[in-house]
Amino acid sequence: MSNSALKSIVIEHLRGSTQPFILPFDKGKNLTIIYGDNASGKSTICDGIEFIGSGRVGSLDNRGLGKTNPYWCSIGKKPSDVSVSIETEDAVCSATIGTAGVIATPPQERPRVQIIRRAQIQDSIEAPPASRYSVIKPFIDISGVEAGEAALRELVRNVTGEQEIAIARVNENRSAIVQFWEEAGNPPPDPYSWAEIESKQDTSSIKAEADSLNNLKKTFDQLTPYPERYKNAQDALDEARNSLSATEHDLDENVKIVSAEASDILSVLVTMKDYLSAHPDPAVCPVCESAEKASGLSERIDDRLKSFETLQEIQTEKKSAEDQVMRLKQRIEDIKQEALELATNFEKMTKQESLPGGTTLPQRAIPKELSEWEAWFQECGELPEIWSKAENVRGERNQYLNTLKKAITTYHENYLTLEELAVLLPKLKDTLAIVEEERRQFTDNKLKEISDEVGRLYELVHPGEGLDKISIALDPAKRASLEMGASFLGLDGVPPQAYFSDSHLDTLGLCIFLALAALEKPDETILVLDDVLGSIDEPHVDRLIEMIYQEAMKFRHCIITTHYRPWKQKLRWGWLKTGQCQFVELTKWTAQDGMILIHAIPDIERLRILIGETPPDPQLVCSKAGVILEAILDFLTQHYECRVPRRAERNFTLGDLLLAISKKLRQALLVDVLIGTDATGIASYKTVPLAPMLEELTRIAQVRNVFGAHFNEISFDLLESDAIGFGQTVVDLFETLVDEVKGWPRNGKSGSYWATGGETRRLHPYVRPE
Amino acid sequence: MNSPSIELAQNIASRLSTANLINADDIESITAKMSEGKLKKEDWRLAIEKGVYTKEEP
Repeated sequence: MSNSALKSIVIEHLRGSTQPFILPFDKGKNLTIIYGDNASGKSTICDGIEFIGSGRVGSLDNRGLGKTNPYWCSIGKKPSDVSVSIETEDAVCSATIGTAGVIATPPQERPRVQIIRRAQIQDSIEAPPASRYSVIKPFIDISGVEAGEAALRELVRNVTGEQEIAIARVNENRSAIVQFWEEAGNPPPDPYSWAEIESKQDTSSIKAEADSLNNLKKTFDQLTPYPERYKNAQDALDEARNSLSATEHDLDENVKIVSAEASDILSVLVTMKDYLSAHPDPAVCPVCESAEKASGLSERIDDRLKSFETLQEIQTEKKSAEDQVMRLKQRIEDIKQEALELATNFEKMTKQESLPGGTTLPQRAIPKELSEWEAWFQECGELPEIWSKAENVRGERNQYLNTLKKAITTYHENYLTLEELAVLLPKLKDTLAIVEEERRQFTDNKLKEISDEVGRLYELVHPGEGLDKISIALDPAKRASLEMGASFLGLDGVPPQAYFSDSHLDTLGLCIFLALAALEKPDETILVLDDVLGSIDEPHVDRLIEMIYQEAMKFRHCIITTHYRPWKQKLRWGWLKTGQCQFVELTKWTAQDGMILIHAIPDIERLRILIGETPPDPQLVCSKAGVILEAILDFLTQHYECRVPRRAERNFTLGDLLLAISKKLRQALLVDVLIGTDATGIASYKTVPLAPMLEELTRIAQVRNVFGAHFNEISFDLLESDAIGFGQTVVDLFETLVDEVKGWPRNGKSGSYWATGGETRRLHPYVRPE
Repeated sequence: MNSPSIELAQNIASRLSTANLINADDIESITAKMSEGKLKKEDWRLAIEKGVYTKEEP
């Protein structure tokens, strides 16, 4: 953001600027005072600066308008007509109203502004502490850190919870181990050492025993169906054999029916049948060629073949029965083979090395003959159940050891977690304590810094009432609540709203805002004080103005609007330092012409202009010079406490004031006028006595009344050159005594003379000579 | 001129490092995240655990 000097601001169609309004800024002066009566457009200038800097128009806030955007443009204009431009030494930045709000172009040239309005000052003082906090919040806004602190606090809570859970788990693990230990009969030396030793036991041998027992029982169980299967197969074989015998008997019976050469004949008959199918009704027998029985030969062959079919069927049945017998025999052989293989396997299982010692086994080896197995099984009796029980015992033992091992492992893991948390948690708590302490200290320091600055500024306006007497603090019992304290009649920390006058409260509010505005990048900030001198008591105005002058120097530019007429008069009379100050005046606003700027010209400048005119007007010169001379004499007579005639109206004449400066004082009045400073910083002065000028003015003082105050025939006889000489001597006297930049010599800190700011004038003597 | 949050975050991170609660390597990231309000529980835990278990070379 730029901090280059401002050259001008142009405001078009924003509120009172019905016509484009240009305010040029004087080069080298970073303080602009805009004077104007009410409704002259002062606030529009402030609005224009806020519009371009912050994209808002704050003067309309809190007036019950709701959204104020529709009222930003001048009457009869559209929002798109509104434009504000600021020209600096480096660039021009313009702001207009777009659809999404105020757009500044180029955005990087958008000026940083701080607007302080009188209403805002009053509100901030009178507002409740929470609202007051919102004013100061941007300057102590540490919400980012507060969010991090909240996260850390939650983490501390979570880790504390984790630690509690870890403690509970460790205790639970310990109880479980103790329970195992007690169940084991409290073996020495202690539960944990015992559990450690137990859990290190090799469970593989137990598992191997259980497995071998299981294998033994399993192979035994595989044998058990075989006696029945063998018996069933044997029965089926017997049945098949019986069936075969019956079929063989039938076959014998049938064979008797057919000839011995039945089979040969059968083939002859089949051949014949095939022949007769091809040659039906032959005349002769194709075999013997006899015609005797040729007729019906085919029918007879069919009958003969039919008797052979029954034989065929029986033969088929016999063949089937023989096959069945063969199959069953084979099946029995297979069963025997399988049974023997399983028996071999079982025998092998009985010889497993992993079988527990003392395992009960069958009394004798399993018989070779399956028919004897039934008896063998009966001999074995409940052996399988015994093996199952033995296996279960080992399984349970294995499970027990695994559970114990798991308990010990979990115990170690949880204990380790607990140890880690025991290290981590204090570190987290230490961290939180540091974050909290730093945050509190930071906020306190910031507020102290602001309090001190407010006190310093307030002290400049109300000496003896500010330093160490104004406090601004956050209420520790409430969130975002700002309390103010002040000293009043020896009572410290009282709320200023309760005891301070409106004027003092206004000053305090202004001091708070000035202190806050100067906290952040003042050299880049345009500070606008909109009509802040509302109810300041007259005795304090000079000091307040002096304080504002002094503080304005910190900022990139300071613009003050005021309708406070004495300020204008004091500037007019050069009573204020005008060196860094540009004073401009707004005349009456009209809807047609908008805001109109005029430059206020100090009276001494007007007198110079009048003297410089060709020809000069003696009446105007004397009139203006007389007023300025009265101002000078008023200053000197008050300064040196000179005697003047006492009148109720206090309207002293020029003669009264001239005569009040005694001869002794006149002779003593000397002014050191600064004429330069050498390279080492040593100032050199020219001493000018005031006596000659005062003597001359006394001599020709009558021209003031004769020319400048009344119509007087005497003026016809007087030289106009005396009138002009009167005016010039007043100019000389003024220029000797007053520095138009640094003001009047009012500062008596040296104790031996009165000086202007920067000691450009030193007025002697310090006190009136007796 | 830094914002109040940045200024305070810098003070805090520096003090935590001096107190050996966080490693000097983490000062910058903690400052940035803290000032922006982005320092979460996990970030705190990681930074403090690193401070506890990662002893820097003297």
